Amino acid sequence: MNCEDCQKSISVYLDNEIEPEVSMSIQTHLAICAECAKMCEDFAMILDFCTLDEVETSLPPNSKALWCRINNLIETEIPPPTAVKVTEQNKPKRSWQFSFSQVFAAVLGIAVISSLLTIVGIKNFSAQELSGNTAPSIFDRALGKIGIIETPQQTRENRIKEQQTAIDYWNKRVQTKRVNWNANLREAFDRNLSEIDQTVFEYDKILQENPHDDLSGEMLDSALNEKMALLREFSEL
Amino acid sequence: MNWILKNLFARHKTTMLILSVVFFFAASAAATVEVSAQKKFSKIYPASKNVRLQLMNRTGTVTVEGWDKPEINISAYLEAPAANIEPQSLSGTVYINLVRDNQGRNEVGNVNFLIKVPYDAIVDIETKIGNLNVSGVRGSLVRAHISSEGDITLTNISADNVAAENVIGDIFFDGSVTDGGSYRFTSTRGNINLRIPFNSSFKLIATAPSTRNISLGDFGGANMKFVSDGRRVVGQSGDGGASISVTNQRGSISFIRR
Repeated sequence: MNCEDCQKSISVYLDNEIEPEVSMSIQTHLAICAECAKMCEDFAMILDFCTLDEVETSLPPNSKALWCRINNLIETEIPPPTAVKVTEQNKPKRSWQFSFSQVFAAVLGIAVISSLLTIVGIKNFSAQELSGNTAPSIFDRALGKIGIIETPQQTRENRIKEQQTAIDYWNKRVQTKRVNWNANLREAFDRNLSEIDQTVFEYDKILQENPHDDLSGEMLDSALNEKMALLREFSEL
Repeated sequence: MNWILKNLFARHKTTMLILSVVFFFAASAAATVEVSAQKKFSKIYPASKNVRLQLMNRTGTVTVEGWDKPEINISAYLEAPAANIEPQSLSGTVYINLVRDNQGRNEVGNVNFLIKVPYDAIVDIETKIGNLNVSGVRGSLVRAHISSEGDITLTNISADNVAAENVIGDIFFDGSVTDGGSYRFTSTRGNINLRIPFNSSFKLIATAPSTRNISLGDFGGANMKFVSDGRRVVGQSGDGGASISVTNQRGSISFIRR
């Protein structure tokens, strides 16, 4: 028996469905041919595996879920059934029909509400104008606290910080220059600076008592600008 | 006693006469020395129409007067130690800058200016300390700025734009208010008095937060409102053509009918 004949009959040989003489000759060939013996061994192993009871162990884990996913994928690839177009004519008509009294009542309501809002707005505005105070609303204060908007007080504080920085700068320059000034110049400078400082102090005090006093805020800003100008102009001497 | 004095005077009449003459000459000489300590500087520049005078003084009084000659006449009286003064005339502007001209000098005396300018001149004057006076000018701008203390007097002014600022000192404005013009007066402590024609047309914001002393005189009316607890007056006179802004931090504001 040669290798070709052996390999053709090997499957039948393993199933024991072969004549004894042929089986004997296969066994003889397998004993002398390593290649065919190896092939026979592989076939035998496959057969053994297939005959095992625990076939399920070879299945992928959670095979049911896998099937579901595969099913879903297949279904999504199927084009959806074409939607029936609803034309303007087919649309069901809504009947917004009001009586005259209903329309009149709605218009009157809108007019009254808008008038009230306008009056309240004007009153608030003129009250603020006359007192010079602009207290921020609760809404504004809330937004200010979380840093979304800058309240007038925060704006003022930032402005004062900027001015103070400039004042410090010019003051340093003045201190280096004033050594060379004569007594009259020094006295005049000190007198005027003291006057402005007194003004700044007064507005600062007012604003501590009433932070919403816009006029004092404006005057404080003006006084600090004057102080800055005085220092800058005397630093030229 | 009287007899003794009379006798003494009669006896030393000649001596007394000589002493009197000596005293007179000595006093005159002393006065001459005092005057000669003050130098004088003079210069004349030809002026084109709408010439501009730009002056920056250190200390001293500046007086600017309008006249009908097409020239700028500068007279400066320099107290000892005399300041350097080097005016320049460049493209229609006469510049005098005593701060720049005396940079680095420790001791500089007062300089008192008397400057005559054409009526239509633009006047922009500043000083660190001292009074500023401007009169008889009707150019487009009159600006008087004192860095610290001194009075500002602006009389017979007819300019579209007027600005006067000081820290300590009075401000007096006597002039007309032009439609579309802008008028700004600012002081920290002093009195601000504005004398303007009754038929002037302007919008007003006057603020005297500390004293609340704002006197509108004949200009007070229904169109003028005291706001912010009387610390400010906002309103309009006539058609409101001009804009007047007055701020006096610690002094009064008064309007006077011209």
